[in-house]
Amino acid sequence: MKAMSWRRLRIASQVIFLLVFLFLFWVTQQPASSSILSSLFFYLDPLAVAIIAITTRTILLVFSLALLSVVLTLVFGRVWCGWACPLGSVLGWIKPRKRERLQNKPSENLRRIKYVLLLVILIAGAFGIQFLFFLDPITLFNRLLSQSVWPAAQSLVNDAEVYLYRFDSLWNILDKIHAIFVYPVFQERVSHFYLAVPTLLLFGLLLGLNWAAERYWCRYLCPLGGLLGFLSRFSLLRRNVDDACISCQACARACPTGTISSKDFHSDPAECVVCYDCITTCASNANHFEWQFPKWKPAVKEAYDPGRREVLLGLGAAVGTVALAGAEPITRRQPATLIRPPGATEDSLASECIRCSQCINVCPTQGLQATVLEGGWQNLFTPQLIPRLGYCDYNCQACTQVCPTEAIPSMTLEEKRATTIGLARVDRNRCLPWAYNTPCIVCEEACPLPDKAIKLQVDDVLDPGGNPIILQRPIVLKENCIGCGVCEHQCPLGGEAAIRVYTPTPFIPTNYSSG
Amino acid sequence: MLSIAGLSGVVSACKPLAKTLTLPTANNTGSVSPTGTETRTLTATQIEESVTPGKASVTPQSPSSTPTLQPTASQAYMAVIHGTDPSQITIAALAALGGMERFVASGDDVIIKPNICTDYYSYEYAATTNPTVVATLVQLCLAAGAKRVRVMDQPFAGKAQTAYARSGIADAVAAAGGEMEFMDRNKYVTVPIHDGLDLKECTFYKPILDADIVIDVPIAKTHNLAKLTLAGKNLLGTIANPGQMHSNLGQRIADLVSHVRPKLIVVDAVRMLMRNGPTGGNLDDVNLANTVIASHDIVAADAFAASLFGMQGNDISYIKAAAARGLGTMDLSSIKIEEISY
Repeated sequence: MKAMSWRRLRIASQVIFLLVFLFLFWVTQQPASSSILSSLFFYLDPLAVAIIAITTRTILLVFSLALLSVVLTLVFGRVWCGWACPLGSVLGWIKPRKRERLQNKPSENLRRIKYVLLLVILIAGAFGIQFLFFLDPITLFNRLLSQSVWPAAQSLVNDAEVYLYRFDSLWNILDKIHAIFVYPVFQERVSHFYLAVPTLLLFGLLLGLNWAAERYWCRYLCPLGGLLGFLSRFSLLRRNVDDACISCQACARACPTGTISSKDFHSDPAECVVCYDCITTCASNANHFEWQFPKWKPAVKEAYDPGRREVLLGLGAAVGTVALAGAEPITRRQPATLIRPPGATEDSLASECIRCSQCINVCPTQGLQATVLEGGWQNLFTPQLIPRLGYCDYNCQACTQVCPTEAIPSMTLEEKRATTIGLARVDRNRCLPWAYNTPCIVCEEACPLPDKAIKLQVDDVLDPGGNPIILQRPIVLKENCIGCGVCEHQCPLGGEAAIRVYTPTPFIPTNYSSG
Repeated sequence: MLSIAGLSGVVSACKPLAKTLTLPTANNTGSVSPTGTETRTLTATQIEESVTPGKASVTPQSPSSTPTLQPTASQAYMAVIHGTDPSQITIAALAALGGMERFVASGDDVIIKPNICTDYYSYEYAATTNPTVVATLVQLCLAAGAKRVRVMDQPFAGKAQTAYARSGIADAVAAAGGEMEFMDRNKYVTVPIHDGLDLKECTFYKPILDADIVIDVPIAKTHNLAKLTLAGKNLLGTIANPGQMHSNLGQRIADLVSHVRPKLIVVDAVRMLMRNGPTGGNLDDVNLANTVIASHDIVAADAFAASLFGMQGNDISYIKAAAARGLGTMDLSSIKIEEISY
């Protein structure tokens, strides 16, 4: 096959993987989504699978997908990065018009960063702090889609519909478009995310770095790239330049990862993503990908390859991360307003959550939001429930099904219904019946518990006009409430609800001596 | 799963019945096959007597000015049917009123509004309308010549998609040939309520205002503010912001009724939720009453349903307010009630 065909095949592969990623992203939002299918990309990601295996202490058949990635890397090099990774593809496509400058390019030493990050992630991860996993490219891309791109697209379509539905004559055709396109894609979801803009800005930053160097993220920062790069040093297929080379520097300029030297035109297999751009641009047909047997040996060591210093730095940073995480107040007591998904705890999230955003994506009410510092920095981007935006649906346990780790333990619907995630409290200073003697029972009405966790106390009071009335006032039955938050969500008061769900408050024994 | 399987059995069982019903409308009563069961005989007779005068009184007018469809001398003002087969009693109730043809003309666009308040529980828990009752009404409408029969509600918790499925109504309606419609948030219109005493304007789901006939099919259950959720309260699902109704609920529901004016009311009291309404979740709170109540008069139907809870129309604010507005009568002794037990 000709070099140009290989390049076309590579681009086709990138498009297909991106489309499959989008499709699986959409599949995850469907009511009966399968956890294995919706998390397929995480199982293809060896870094994620390493952490999933460590945290769940299980080996599943589906982990062999990551093994496939490893084997492919050992045979072909960093093809994962060049042919499959959706984040890598997008970062590779959106780049400055001008070709790579061979002078003034960032220091080659920056390539070390990804190895150090990889070491910190693996070591801290083994010690139960998954904080830096938000830098995994698959989690980054999933977060971007679930909390920024998709909600924005949904809002745009919704706004267009709101506008067009003003014209009654268009209703018939709009109904058809809605039934055929809008509903299947978005299912009447209403998503709002506090991190919609910050997530996009983080992606924008990675994109902007392309202007300092093409695929900056993939070259210098990506920890998964570091892992696959390390494996690629032993790959069987590598790029060679033969004697036909006329030193035109075309390949060095074309290389998206900048690994082709402008002097001797050799490249580092750990950096090469097998994109075939060097080969298609070569004027003298001197660039080739060649099998390395029978005389195979590992790639020559580069100046920036991780050595003792990097390992020590990574180890030190990981130990420091773990140590500092233990010093955070969050490990002492859960903040009152931090509601976690069913079964998840601060500990399980810090030590097992890989920040993949699958729970946030699957949540039908879109009440799950990523934290920033609410749970301490070690819990960055872990899921929390914001009932005002969306409650925990009594008829749903989807987040417990899609979580690829045990951060949110898998549950049946019956188990989830019996899992307490919070406790509702009535704010009697603001609640309509309590503060204003005005009838309202919306919270009690919505309470899904068979025996109702909200009961109505009947009082003889004066209405705002001074007339005696019999008034029903909500009180929460602590023993019944599971903290689903539908009451807080439905509370008709503007702004903050007059009934709020707080962290469940079991009686914590203090050290006071009795007597 | 068991319940769904049982349900589809019931739905398919009632199909032949619905087909028998279509025959009299084709002026072909002589050919009704001798079915042997009491229901079918009764059904055919009732329709034969009443189909023509019923149809004559249907006039397409705006909802607020449409007169209620008064029964002729031979038609019951209200039907109260008891029996263990929800399909059979629904068919019998309509037959007693003069057949679905009294309400649905050929080519009509029909909207059935059951109560599908949440996606929490299946219909056995009596928080949502019985799927067989709804499906049977769909079949009766289609048999009467309806062009289109849509079924819809606006759950206040859970998505319509999951609530429709959970209630069993989605499957039953699909099997009966009706359509489930998701109430699109863009299809609401704000209109003045000219006769409203408290509610002067309201934002309605427009297709409900535009439909030729709205059939209000509540399930009889408790509700702490309204005391009971019946046909009047069920209409909260036709508007954009049910929350606004909660103060001065009785008067506002009466105002709502005056604007929507459902032409047929079928109260599902097959399973009544006696406590912990409107959401339920406890089978001990469910009373198997095996009854449906049908009438053109929303006040009378609700007043009778209230009696099943040991209350009177006067005890329920919205029934009282609607009666005071002249939207119907809650004096059950003054009307012709056909009560049949199977």
